[in-house]
Amino acid sequence: MQHDILDRYSRGSSPLHRLHSKAKVILAVLLLLFTISLHPGQWIACAAVAAILMLAALIARIPVSYLLRRMLIIEPLIVTMALLALFRPDGIALFLMTTAKANVCFFIIIILSNTTPFARLLDVARSWHAPAMLVNIIALMYRYIFVLADETERMQRARSSRTFRSGKRVRWISRSQIIGQTFVRSTERAERIYAAMCARGWK
Amino acid sequence: MNTALEVKDLRYRYREGKEALQGVSFSVEKGECVGLIGPNGAGKSTLLLHLNGILPDPLPRESSIFVNGVPVLPDSVHSVRRSVGLLFQNPDDQLFCPTVYEDVAFGPAQFRFPEEEVRSVALTSLATVGLEGFEDRSPHHLSRGEKQRVCLAGILACKPGILVLDEPTSELDPRGKRNLVTLLRTLPTTKIIASHDLELIVELCPRVIVLDGGMIVADGETRAILSDEALMLEHGLEKPHILRHLHPH
Amino acid sequence: MHVPDGFLDAKTIAATGALSAMGIGMALRSGRKSLPPSRLPLMGVGAAFVFAAQMINFPVIGGTSGHLIGAVLVAVLMGPTAAILVMTSVLIVQCFLFADGGILALGANILNMGIVAPLAGYAIFTGVKKAIPGNLGIVAGAGFAGWCSTVAASLACAGELAVSEIAPWNTAIPAMANIHMLIGVGEAIITMLVVVAILRARPELIMSNASVNVPQRPVTIAGYILIVALALALFVSPFASVWPDGLERVASTLGFEHRAVTSASSPFSEYQFPGLSSALAATALAGVFGTIATLLLTIVIARLIIPRNRKK
Repeated sequence: MQHDILDRYSRGSSPLHRLHSKAKVILAVLLLLFTISLHPGQWIACAAVAAILMLAALIARIPVSYLLRRMLIIEPLIVTMALLALFRPDGIALFLMTTAKANVCFFIIIILSNTTPFARLLDVARSWHAPAMLVNIIALMYRYIFVLADETERMQRARSSRTFRSGKRVRWISRSQIIGQTFVRSTERAERIYAAMCARGWK
Repeated sequence: MNTALEVKDLRYRYREGKEALQGVSFSVEKGECVGLIGPNGAGKSTLLLHLNGILPDPLPRESSIFVNGVPVLPDSVHSVRRSVGLLFQNPDDQLFCPTVYEDVAFGPAQFRFPEEEVRSVALTSLATVGLEGFEDRSPHHLSRGEKQRVCLAGILACKPGILVLDEPTSELDPRGKRNLVTLLRTLPTTKIIASHDLELIVELCPRVIVLDGGMIVADGETRAILSDEALMLEHGLEKPHILRHLHPH
Repeated sequence: MHVPDGFLDAKTIAATGALSAMGIGMALRSGRKSLPPSRLPLMGVGAAFVFAAQMINFPVIGGTSGHLIGAVLVAVLMGPTAAILVMTSVLIVQCFLFADGGILALGANILNMGIVAPLAGYAIFTGVKKAIPGNLGIVAGAGFAGWCSTVAASLACAGELAVSEIAPWNTAIPAMANIHMLIGVGEAIITMLVVVAILRARPELIMSNASVNVPQRPVTIAGYILIVALALALFVSPFASVWPDGLERVASTLGFEHRAVTSASSPFSEYQFPGLSSALAATALAGVFGTIATLLLTIVIARLIIPRNRKK
């Protein structure tokens, strides 16, 4: 699995990368709030936010091709959800504005996650006194996401190399079994992690 | 008192019923480096987990293990863990923090080192294992050998008096292994090393304990024991190549 | 069902945020008491597990494929309190790392998939498990709960979009409900197959976990019920009140006035049933029939797939 598509550029050294994580989170939320408050027709404001973001991407040296690729992945979801707006009387304008707003908001999050490593975001959460239990679960999850994703991928490959029938029913059953087995392994892994945490003084 | 570790008639049965340890006794002097060998399923890992109170769970009221003379009991287990650093087999399970620095600093922070010392000891430990500048890396992007070295740094950062290592070279390439041997030689701590890598044991440990079926079947001078081909064969082991040259028949 | 930013308006963001914060707060409170420290790694790895499970694609029709949401699976495997914390973590990581779901919409997404889905699902799972003994009850209960939770979460989601004035009530809710009644079938089948796989390999994992960290204190239970009820009342019930006259008229013609009130606030009252003239009655009837049919279907499937030697 290609892991670094998510936050490939998060470890850069641009001024934006060096900006304090707290400041970036606050800026992102403010920009998001501004964007969602726009009404149909406020195109200039929407374009202004987009321009700021393009500038930010430029400063952070995030390539346009990468941004476009990420946008393309999310686009079907945004458009499908925005289609619902067409059923309203002011439909077309609302549809266009909602699509634009959603894209701009997505852009904001992409810039944030590509200029701030996830571990720094966790530091921000800790310094804002987010509940320790939740932050710890998230930190552990972040650590093991790709370990487990790789594990399921290996299991899927191993299975398909031994399977000759490939009906839909067979695939549903075998993939569910992979999920089940991943859970069993996860509980065993969790026990070993707990032992390792205890060994280094966790209570 | 010079005994770092004393184990008296240790028995352990897993909940599934398997009797993993059936009366294990030995003691280790301060500064000693002891190898622990035996076939798969001999009980090596189970024994090591006992040495800093991971097993049995929950801890009993009476202990058959004494660390620096202190029995491993529920009240003392935290300080026992402070003085026994345990390196596990699978580095992925042991590296549970999002970044290398956080992981190495985890132990010192849990053991309530002063804040500045946490930082300095974490950085020194990373330097000791040759991983300066890796602080912000996420464990997922490390090679297996690098992961194992971060694990070791995480243990060293707790400044334990006794190092217990379970298969420390399983993920290392020859150069990584060489570096580890050099590193372990320079550490003055008491060491217990469980490994299938008998050449490592010969190089580092003057004394070796052979475990099979949950019992100690031999305990003594490494070269003498590892040269005893009958004993080695009986317990699923093999006389290492370096010893063949030293003791030609 | 991850709502991106740009769809919800400020009042919806505030309301869903407040409800989610309440739910998470209660889960943390009762988790601190009922979850021993040794469960923390399991919740962290469990969250990673949900994510990995969501990445596995199941072929549907043509080239399309679907995947598990997992809220009920986690509730069944780890208990409801842990499920809220695990699903919340999954959604937070998906938001910040994958930009899957918005930051401002996080409250809504957590409310739908992290609170309403596992809680409603767990309540239904427990009900079915009590009614049908043995593994059959566990498997069928998990499947039916998986379907219900998917539909309930989608209704809350549709309601949030409607309250935000993105979509009109009379299209948003039926559209989302219809799609998710189908998606829910996939969720139900996968959930059942996974539960069966685990029952085969390590039955004790389900037996021991299915009843842990169930909130015991009446205050907590009441609080959870209140949050789910508020979520559905705020974001779903306005749909029923769009046509209050229609509801009453249909209720009297069909002769179940006393049911009208319950079906108005019930999450299953909004589906289209072809051939009937009144839209709302059709929706209500379709909902009831769909729910009963799904329950029966899950029992039949569960009977087919449960491990034979353990059948009781």
